[in-house]
Amino acid sequence: MNDILNPSQWVFAIGDASFALNAETVVMSLFAALALVLLSYAASRRVSMVPNILQNSAEMFVEGFFDLTSSSLGARGSRYFALIATTFLYILISNWMGVAPYLSEPTRDLNTTLALALIGFSVAHYSAIRVKGFKGYVKAYFEPFFLIFPLNVIGELAKVVSLSFRLYGNIMGGAVIILVVSDLVRQLVLPPLMMIFFGFFVGTVQAFVFAMLTLTYISLAVRD
Amino acid sequence: MEITGTELVRAAALLGAGIAMGFGAIGPGIGEGFTAGKACEGIARAPEHANLLTRTMLVGQAVSESTGIYALVVALLLIFVV
Repeated sequence: MNDILNPSQWVFAIGDASFALNAETVVMSLFAALALVLLSYAASRRVSMVPNILQNSAEMFVEGFFDLTSSSLGARGSRYFALIATTFLYILISNWMGVAPYLSEPTRDLNTTLALALIGFSVAHYSAIRVKGFKGYVKAYFEPFFLIFPLNVIGELAKVVSLSFRLYGNIMGGAVIILVVSDLVRQLVLPPLMMIFFGFFVGTVQAFVFAMLTLTYISLAVRD
Repeated sequence: MEITGTELVRAAALLGAGIAMGFGAIGPGIGEGFTAGKACEGIARAPEHANLLTRTMLVGQAVSESTGIYALVVALLLIFVV
């Protein structure tokens, strides 16, 4: 139980300051990225008119996500499609990694989810400035009237917090529940079933929700 | 046997974790059940839109779940960190 909350760290010291990297998170997120690259390479290696099973599922995925982004962003959808789809796939693979032995989810670390949420946040605000111009972007904070400005700012920051804590809490909570219940039943029968539920079902739903909410925040930001 | 200050803090943290999780689970429970029920009604009325309804339901449930997740994070902090 203790190593789930106090992960092993690499500590670097530069001058007086020292900073720590969570070793497991770094390695596992590189692993997830590598898996993503290999998977997409394998899916697009031999593109043919009669697709094999990998190409077929990749095409289905791309088509489905393209429909999703263009239904909520319209003509601008193709610009953000890659970001949303990659976020989804990365979180999906990260969440599924917890099921495999010797691997752990990089999304179990708050740093990973916070980074992912910050990417979506920056993209949303950058595109808001791009679409509305700087004046229009600032003006949106003073609507409907002047005094509401602090509430709008807090609301924007709360989006990042809620997005990252939702993913982190779900994955971390799942991992802790699996550990506790596995200990209670002496590793009999239940752990694999709970792995399937928390790893595959909750992992898929949370990855989808994360991507959808990022998409929603972007579409709220660029809407006139 | 005397109860020391650290033991008292530990006991209060554990109690607090239980209370936080218990009360924090009420809201998401009601919210998610309500969402699922409404989605069922919608699917019964318009089965051809089942995909869209299920998708929207899952996103809505995850959003209403987030308060429960905050309670969980707080409870975990109280148990393992305090």
